[in-house]
Amino acid sequence: MCAVQLEVRNISKTYETGLFSRKARFVLENISFDVQEGRTFGIVGESGTGKTTLGKIIAAIEKPTAGEILFRGNTLAVMKRKEFPTFRRNVQMMFQDPEGSLNPKKTIRKSLDEVLRLIKMPKGTREYAIRDSLLTVGLSREILVRYPNQLSGGQNQRVALARILLLEPEVIILDEPTSALDISVQAQILNLLKDLQLKKALTYIFISHDMDVIRFMCHDIGIIKNSKLLATC
Amino acid sequence: MPDEATSSLNIRELKVTFDTPLGTVKAVDDVSFELNAGETLALVGETGCGKSVVAHSILKLLPANAKIKGQILFRNQNLLKLGEKDLAQIRGKEISLIMQNPALALNPVYSIGHQMTEPLMVHEGMRKAKAILKAKDLLKRLRFIGPDVATRAYPFEMSGGMKQRILIGISVILNPKIIIADEPTTGLDSRLRDMVLEELRLVKEMDRSSMIFISHDLKAAREISDRIAIMYAGEILEIGSTAEFFKEPFHPYSKKLLDSLPERGFNPIPGTSPSVIHPPEGCKFHPRCTSRKEICSKESPDFVRIKDRDIKCVLYS
Repeated sequence: MCAVQLEVRNISKTYETGLFSRKARFVLENISFDVQEGRTFGIVGESGTGKTTLGKIIAAIEKPTAGEILFRGNTLAVMKRKEFPTFRRNVQMMFQDPEGSLNPKKTIRKSLDEVLRLIKMPKGTREYAIRDSLLTVGLSREILVRYPNQLSGGQNQRVALARILLLEPEVIILDEPTSALDISVQAQILNLLKDLQLKKALTYIFISHDMDVIRFMCHDIGIIKNSKLLATC
Repeated sequence: MPDEATSSLNIRELKVTFDTPLGTVKAVDDVSFELNAGETLALVGETGCGKSVVAHSILKLLPANAKIKGQILFRNQNLLKLGEKDLAQIRGKEISLIMQNPALALNPVYSIGHQMTEPLMVHEGMRKAKAILKAKDLLKRLRFIGPDVATRAYPFEMSGGMKQRILIGISVILNPKIIIADEPTTGLDSRLRDMVLEELRLVKEMDRSSMIFISHDLKAAREISDRIAIMYAGEILEIGSTAEFFKEPFHPYSKKLLDSLPERGFNPIPGTSPSVIHPPEGCKFHPRCTSRKEICSKESPDFVRIKDRDIKCVLYS
């Protein structure tokens, strides 16, 4: 049995709607599940069921209305300010739109280098780390001088993955990472993700509405319908 | 090949290039096909292979830096030779295009009712009240729940799937003879995707139209089309009956493309799509092809017909 890496406990999220009489609308209602180390947990559901919101809450991009997230047994909400950057580095999120994930005004080199400067990596080792990361995701160095709009969707998604890998995370939340890609490029990215999981012992939370992709990628799944977690298996 | 009488659209030797600061992009390179009356033809291929450029060429909706050569014959006239005034009579009324991105294709500041009635008022001079009734009637026939509410709503009040279905409604409200659906199921979940495909089938039957279905979704193409054309780097590599194609694809690219389907284990095609500015010499797929021969890097093959299917590969010549 693998160790539990992430615990999602009774997460609820409401948004207030209405101009004059504010009404609370549940986006997520009392969601709980565990994610085990080195495995892929799939979150499945139709569009608009709150899958992405849940992913953002786990990645601490959004705050829940109720409930808590535990990373290696530590509650996120009571985490000290000093500990938070380490959590951010360890739990990364990859988004659906590959081009939108990257700054259109920055070359690929700048987008990758920015991440390393944030973690204060010395200048001498940054170039080596970037090249190593590109090699891991199957991209050549030529693309470093290009801008996101000069790359294909699949190449941009690989760059987004390379940028995440530079931080050496333990958990990656993959939010529909292949839904905007062609079937052949989708197959390339999914196989790459599987290889990386084996090589680097990564834990994935894989969000998708595509049951074929979920079946191929996931060890465990949770089904969300009408803001509630229907079942986990 | 179908004769002129049964053909509703005939595209001959279509070439489209774009002049860019990085060089000339060869987006469509010598594409020829016919669309038979009442049939659905799927144009399938990876992103950037020129599918949407073919669609936009038919209605001359390409940007100013595009150069088009060849013929697009519709009712014995070459659409590429027509002026804007004549084209305005064809766009929407005879040939309609369902755009790729419903969020951008709909105007955010006008109600759905306004946007659905506009073609009726412009092309047929219909009065607003009558046009609204026709729009509601169409939504009813498309099994839309609450057509009254839908016509009063604005695009931001609708989900992606609903917006896509509204776009289909707008595109067919003038009962066009040819519908071009450009990636209508991209980004939709399986339930909405099935709904959109069903709606496309319904509108095609209602108006006895022909359809060009453009997609990179092989499953959707299989479900909806009678014939399928596989595009790669601006060229058609294989074209024929959809049912036969899925039983036995001939071109090495088609075989690899089907291997990347989920039911075949997501086996990726090695390498990446070639540059459209400096495409490889000979067969454009040869650098990624595992069955390539020496001649493949030197000569571009001609089409060969096998079992009612046209294949562009030296393995069959």
